[in-house]
Amino acid sequence: MDQHIKKVYVPMTETAFYILLCLRKPNHGYGIVQKVEKLTDGIIRLAPGTMYGSLSKMEKDGLIKFVREEDKRKIYIITDLGSEVLEIERRRIERLYRIAQEEI
Amino acid sequence: MQTKKALKFFSIFEYEKEQDYLRNMHKSGWKFVCISGFCVYHFEKCEPEDVIYQLDYNQEGIAHKDEYIKMFEDCGWEYLQDYVGYSYFRKPAAQMAGSEEIFCDDDSRRQMMSRVFKGRILPAFAIFFCVIIPNFLMSMDGQNYAATAIFGLLTGIYLGCFGLFAYKYMSLKKRR
Repeated sequence: MDQHIKKVYVPMTETAFYILLCLRKPNHGYGIVQKVEKLTDGIIRLAPGTMYGSLSKMEKDGLIKFVREEDKRKIYIITDLGSEVLEIERRRIERLYRIAQEEI
Repeated sequence: MQTKKALKFFSIFEYEKEQDYLRNMHKSGWKFVCISGFCVYHFEKCEPEDVIYQLDYNQEGIAHKDEYIKMFEDCGWEYLQDYVGYSYFRKPAAQMAGSEEIFCDDDSRRQMMSRVFKGRILPAFAIFFCVIIPNFLMSMDGQNYAATAIFGLLTGIYLGCFGLFAYKYMSLKKRR
């Protein structure tokens, strides 16, 4: 994996994590916003400026790819590289959680 | 319909101040209609309401306007207009659960700053070093005091702007 990707996405922002998590299935920006709101019981409400910037940046970095457009909404899906980064991040968070459980 | 105009200047790093200004105007019964010409704000009389105004700077968004605006509209933000690279949005506070902004983390706020930097500050740097500084130095031969004064003043303004931007960028960095 290239150094730039590592530097920017390991660790990644909560926004980036939720985007990758949701894009294991094709979805558009607003679909992700709604899904995350549901998953977190309304605690996390992703904002459109953040979403638009993140999606286009992640597309450029090759973590997600454009599938098709539906009613002016761009639908994306995760790439192999995206899945790899998501898995590294999942393991990192799991380790954090495990250590916290043991230590606290 | 009663309307009014206001001439108000905000530098490119003062978008937060500008947002507050528009919100306060709306709160006191003046709804923002548009901005035109050189910083002329147009308002129309309305019922006072707490409406949050937000500015984004995203040239890619402006290039793909349909999908860009759709994203904001889906989230309940009304798109108003573009002005010198900035896009204006608003959403009534009553429609929000808690407080909402168009950015939900400092990472994306910083990315917006770096878009402003690339779009506005870098070109200004180029003008500063290729036009203002050489002219200022050349005018220092004592022949033309007016030119020295003008380019000296411009040098000061540019340096002030660069300093402000650096300050703002650093304080955003610290907030994280």
